[in-house]
Amino acid sequence: MKKKKETNYISIRESRKIIRENVRQMRYYEKLKRKPKSPAEYTTVMHDENNLIELDNLQTCFFTDNGTVMSVNGVSFDIPKNKIVGVVGESGCGKSVTSLSIMQLVQAPQGQVVGGEIRYNAEELGRDAEGNKIAYDIARTPTKEMYKIRGKDITMIFQEPMTSLNPVFTIGNQLDEVSFVHTPNIDKAAAKAHSIDMLKKVGIAMPEHVYESYPHELSGGMRQRVMISMALAGNPRLIIADEPTTALDVTIQAQILELLKELQKREGCSIMLITHDLGVIAEMADEVVVMYAGKVIEKGTAREIFHNPMHPYTIGLQKSKPLITSASDEPLYSIPGQVPNPINLPNCCYFKNRCNRACERCNGQYPPEIKVSDTHYVSCYLYDSED
Amino acid sequence: MDENVQNKDIILEVKGLKKYFPIEKNLFGKTLRSLRAVDDVSFAVARGTTIGVVGESGCGKTTLGRTILKLYQADGGTIVYNGEDITDIGKKKMRALRTSIQLIFQDPYSSLPPRMTVGAIISEAVRVHHIVPKDEIRQYVRDIMHKCGLQPQYYDRYPHEFSGGQRQRICIARALAVKPDLVICDEPVSALDVSIQAQIINLLKELQNTMGLTYVFISHDLSVVKYITDQILVMYLGNMMELGETEELFANPLHPYTKALFSAVPVPDPDLKMDRIILAGDIPSPANPPKGCKFHTRCRDCMNVCRFKEPAFVEVGPEHKVACHLYDQEVMQHLEEYDREWARMEEERLRQEAEKEAKRKGKRSKTAQDAPAAEAVEPDEALDDER
Repeated sequence: MKKKKETNYISIRESRKIIRENVRQMRYYEKLKRKPKSPAEYTTVMHDENNLIELDNLQTCFFTDNGTVMSVNGVSFDIPKNKIVGVVGESGCGKSVTSLSIMQLVQAPQGQVVGGEIRYNAEELGRDAEGNKIAYDIARTPTKEMYKIRGKDITMIFQEPMTSLNPVFTIGNQLDEVSFVHTPNIDKAAAKAHSIDMLKKVGIAMPEHVYESYPHELSGGMRQRVMISMALAGNPRLIIADEPTTALDVTIQAQILELLKELQKREGCSIMLITHDLGVIAEMADEVVVMYAGKVIEKGTAREIFHNPMHPYTIGLQKSKPLITSASDEPLYSIPGQVPNPINLPNCCYFKNRCNRACERCNGQYPPEIKVSDTHYVSCYLYDSED
Repeated sequence: MDENVQNKDIILEVKGLKKYFPIEKNLFGKTLRSLRAVDDVSFAVARGTTIGVVGESGCGKTTLGRTILKLYQADGGTIVYNGEDITDIGKKKMRALRTSIQLIFQDPYSSLPPRMTVGAIISEAVRVHHIVPKDEIRQYVRDIMHKCGLQPQYYDRYPHEFSGGQRQRICIARALAVKPDLVICDEPVSALDVSIQAQIINLLKELQNTMGLTYVFISHDLSVVKYITDQILVMYLGNMMELGETEELFANPLHPYTKALFSAVPVPDPDLKMDRIILAGDIPSPANPPKGCKFHTRCRDCMNVCRFKEPAFVEVGPEHKVACHLYDQEVMQHLEEYDREWARMEEERLRQEAEKEAKRKGKRSKTAQDAPAAEAVEPDEALDDER
C-alpha cells in the first residue's frame, strides 16, 4: 500500500472520488463569487498605510484530477509603496499563481483562492471612523468591482510578449482599449493621443508607425515595450511583471530592466517582479521574497537576502548559480533531489529532504516564520532561538 | 594555427564554414536571396576540451551545431573531424561516424519519444550500431544510466514520469550510450531550473573527465559558458566576432559586442553597480543584415570605416582573435583614407536618392520642381537611421 503512494498511482475508484469532491468544492466557491455582496463584506482595513498590497496567509489551490494542489499555501508579504519587490523561486513554486491571485485571474473554476486576505490600499476608499485606511480585500471582491481595479490600478506584464498580444489587432487598437475601458466618455482621438504618448514613454522610436502595425511586425524587445506601455496606460499603482525578460536576449533584457527601473522612479508606482533569475532580482529589487513549494521561506531587503542568506534553500540557490566573476575549477554546488510533488504535502518542512542541515525538529510541524531583523524573516528551525 | 593543430590532438576543425538558407527563389529554383545563418566560421577544438558558442538568438549558434553534425549540408568551407574531411562525405560513411558525434537538445520535454520506455530510448542506438553484443545490452544501458545519475530501476518507465532534470539526464545517457568522442550540446541547461542546472552542469563536467569527451557547448547564458568551457566563440548575425580562451576572453574582452554582452549579464549582488554598456536597438534581421561590420548599427565605437568595410579576423594575442577594425593595425593607420572614401560614398548615395526621388516626383506631377524633391529625401533618411 505504501509503495503505491510513492508512485502517485491512483485507482479509478480513488480518482472518481477525488473528481466528485472537486466538483462539490468548485461549485461552492463559484457560488460565493456570484453572490451579491455589500461593500462591507469585501473591504477591510490596512495594517500599515505605507503598504500598497498586503498579502495575508493567502491560499490558492487547484482542484486537479489527481488531488488538490496547494499552489500558494499561506503566503504573507507586503508590497510597500514606491518599491520594487522581487519574488524568486523555481518553476512550480507558486510565484506566478500568487500574482494571478492578486489580479483575480486564477484559472477558474479549477483554481480558487480558498483562504487569506489580499488587502489593496485603494486611495478612493478613504478612512473609516477610527481613522484606519480602508482597503479592498481582493480575495473577496466581486468580479464586477474588480474590473475597476484590474488593468487600471494594478496591471500586469506577462512573460511571453509573443502570446499575450492579440495577433489580429493592431498595437494601437489594443492600446486604445485600455483608455476606452477605464476613462469614461473618451473619444477616439484622445485615446490615440494617449496611446502614442505611452509608446513614447517606453522609448519606442516611431510611435505613430508602431501604433499602426501588428504584433508580428515587431521584434521581441519591441513587443515587450508595447506590453509595458499597455501596463502603464491606466496610470497604475502596482505593476506585476511576471518574468518580463525570460524570453529575451541578454542585451535586450538589460534594456528592458533599465526601462522598468526608470519608469518606476518616474511614475512613482510599485513593481512586483517575478523571476527565477537571482541576478535580475539583485539588480532591480528593494525587497526580496523567496518562495519554495507554495510557501514563503525567506523574505527581507535585497541586501539581507544576498549578503546574509539564512535559509539553506536560499543559500543553495545562490551557490548553485555559476557567476561570471567566479572561478570555474571546483564543481558547482548543487541542491540534491528535486522539488516535491505538490499534491498532499505533509505538514513538515518541504525542503528537509534536500536540506544539508536538516535536524530532528524538521520532521515536526512546518517551521514558523522567525524574525531575524525588522525586515528579515526566515522559516527554518535552524534560527529558532527556543532551541 | 597550423602549429597548434600539430601540437594538440585536434578532434574537430572547422574552416570557413558557411550555411545559407534560400529565402527567395525564381521560377527555376535558382536562389535569388539567401539568409546567411553561418558565414565564414572557423575554429578548432582539441580532444577533451570544450568550446562554447555564445550569442543572441538568431545569431546562428544552433545552425552551426547542426551543420557540424551534417544535419544541414554546408554551403562552403570544410569540416575536418579526426583528420578526415567530412564536408562532402556520403550518407553511408556518415552513418558510421554518427556514433562518434552526438547531440543533446535544448528541450528535454519534446526530445524524448513519449511512447518508448527509458531503456528502449537509450538502447535503441546501441542496438542499431551494434555497440555491445545483444545479450549484454540491458546491463550496458543500466551502467550508462548509473553513470548519468539515473537509478537503474527507471529502465522500464516512460519519459512523462520524470521531471525536467531527470529527462535531461536521459537525453545525456542516450547521447553517451554509443560511446561518442564529440558531443554537441545545444543549450542543454537553459530549460531547467537553477538548482537542477547546477546538477546537469556538474554531470557534464564529470562525464567529460571520466570519458574524455569533447563538447561544443552552445548557450546564451554566459555564466554557464564561463564555467564549463575552455575557449569561447562569440557570434553575431552568423559572423564570428571573437574567439579566445575562456579566461583570456573574460579578463580581456576586446570586441565591443563581447564587452556589451558580458556587461549585460546581471550579477546577483545588490551592491555591485556595474557601468553597464546597454546596446541600443534590436538585432537586425539576418535576412537583411547591415553592410560592412554587421554590428556597426549597435556599436558604441562605430567608425566610418565600419559602415562599408567588413572587418578581417585578426589575431591579437595567443589564441585570441577578433573581428573588429579597432584592432586591425592596417585599417587604423589608414583611417583618414577610409573616412574620405565613406564621405564620397555617402555623397554618391544621397545624390542617387535625390535623383530617384526627383524621378518619382516627376512621374507623379509633371510640374514638380527641384526644391520639394530635395526636401522629400529627409524623411527617408530618418527612416534609415531608425533602422
